[in-house]
Amino acid sequence: MATIDKLSYHSRLRYVNTGEKFAFSAITLVLCIGSRSVCLAVFVFFAMGILTVKKGGIPISEYLRLLTIPMVFLGMNSLILGVSIRQTPLEVFAIRWGSWYLTGGRETIGYGLQIFITAMAAVSCLYFLSCNTTMTDLLILFRKWKCPALIAELMLLIYRFIFVLLDRGKAVSIAQKSRLGNRDYRTGLHSFGELVSCLFVNSVKRSEALFDAMESRCYDGVIRVLEEEHPPKKREAFGMIAFELWACFLIWIGR
Amino acid sequence: MTKKEKTLLTAAIVFAGTFGKTSTAYAMHIMEGALPVGYCLAWGALSVPFLMAGFFSIKKTVRENRRALTLLAMSGAFVFVISSLKIPSVSGSCSHMTGTGLGAILFGPAAVSILGLIVLIFQAILLAHGGLTTLGANTFSMAIAGPFLSWFLFRIFEKAKVNRKMSVFLAAFFGDLFTYCVTAVQLAMAHNSATTFGIALKENLIIFAGTQIPLAIVEGILTVVVIIGLESYARPELRAAGFIKEGR
Repeated sequence: MATIDKLSYHSRLRYVNTGEKFAFSAITLVLCIGSRSVCLAVFVFFAMGILTVKKGGIPISEYLRLLTIPMVFLGMNSLILGVSIRQTPLEVFAIRWGSWYLTGGRETIGYGLQIFITAMAAVSCLYFLSCNTTMTDLLILFRKWKCPALIAELMLLIYRFIFVLLDRGKAVSIAQKSRLGNRDYRTGLHSFGELVSCLFVNSVKRSEALFDAMESRCYDGVIRVLEEEHPPKKREAFGMIAFELWACFLIWIGR
Repeated sequence: MTKKEKTLLTAAIVFAGTFGKTSTAYAMHIMEGALPVGYCLAWGALSVPFLMAGFFSIKKTVRENRRALTLLAMSGAFVFVISSLKIPSVSGSCSHMTGTGLGAILFGPAAVSILGLIVLIFQAILLAHGGLTTLGANTFSMAIAGPFLSWFLFRIFEKAKVNRKMSVFLAAFFGDLFTYCVTAVQLAMAHNSATTFGIALKENLIIFAGTQIPLAIVEGILTVVVIIGLESYARPELRAAGFIKEGR
């Protein structure tokens, strides 16, 4: 589950300026969704994939595996969009259900597909950002944008705690499994409840301990971290502008 | 196990067995790129007042008691982690809890709105569940609508002296269901070019209902099991989180 996090630390694009990477994926994302152009979407999907795998050095097998995650959601969303329930069947397919039909027409399926393709392009933009940028860099970026200090601090702490609690949860669930805690559904539910209550007690205890530790190190309401500066490079910026212009051109062609 | 627990578990088994092929509960996240830009902005704007209220309430809590900050952070991580744990299911398919109902009951809806937003950002970036452009819509359905309803119902049932387990179950169940309904409304509003809004909404609700009602029931039952566990092991901690504090 922590794969994206791990991958981002190994990426070769990790030390490219965070703001630049964020702007690049955000602008492309908005262009994709704003235009809903299939032509652009196909281009972006492959371009982002190549950038992440070739430039970023993310293993292609991992990247392909990651692409299957959104399939579940998109499958569900596109199903809702591509299928309609009518009293008269549409042309492509129809499943009878009493006097109603679960049916799809050329128009509804085409629409579902369009959404599916543009959404996959959007996901590849998101992956470009998250596979090549570490969470800590993003948090520093949020802080620069004058995100309220309290929120920035909460995010930093939550990010840290997620992995602590996940480890704990994994350990407990291994312990439960090795004691036949999941031998049938009923025991499984019971074990799950105990796992969650145990995690809750653990997290409260840890939070107390952490506060004591922080306070004994002069915590006064602000956590200060040193950050590395990676100023944007001209070549990258030009490449980015060229990419976005090309994207606009593709939208225009695809009309 | 008490007799009540046994009855609950049996009910869970029957339901899960009947609708064995549960799809994943994450299907309620609206995926990156599934909403047009206008709707993304509109839902985001609609969430802002709630988030502001949540922010001020958290700020007040932290000002009064600085220790609350680490507790809040842990609660956020807790919500993230329980929503990523696989819950037991008969068919072997993998489904997850949303955890927002439990969060709202334990920590209150205002705190959960902010924590939910942060959790959703992490889920989008670390797990690719949901997305950055659909963050507003997802925040509204999962971190605001569901938790507020859960908390509201829980309080009403408590006032009406309904059995606590029952009230926890109903709060989590309806909170979960409400989240799905809001998601269905969001999708129907954005995508109804072929039909009207009403028909699109009806279709979405029918498709959602088949897959999500069993999951909502399982979530409700799990929330009860968790609360039972907490009440027996974690009274002091519950007091720290404010669940028992007011003596309700």
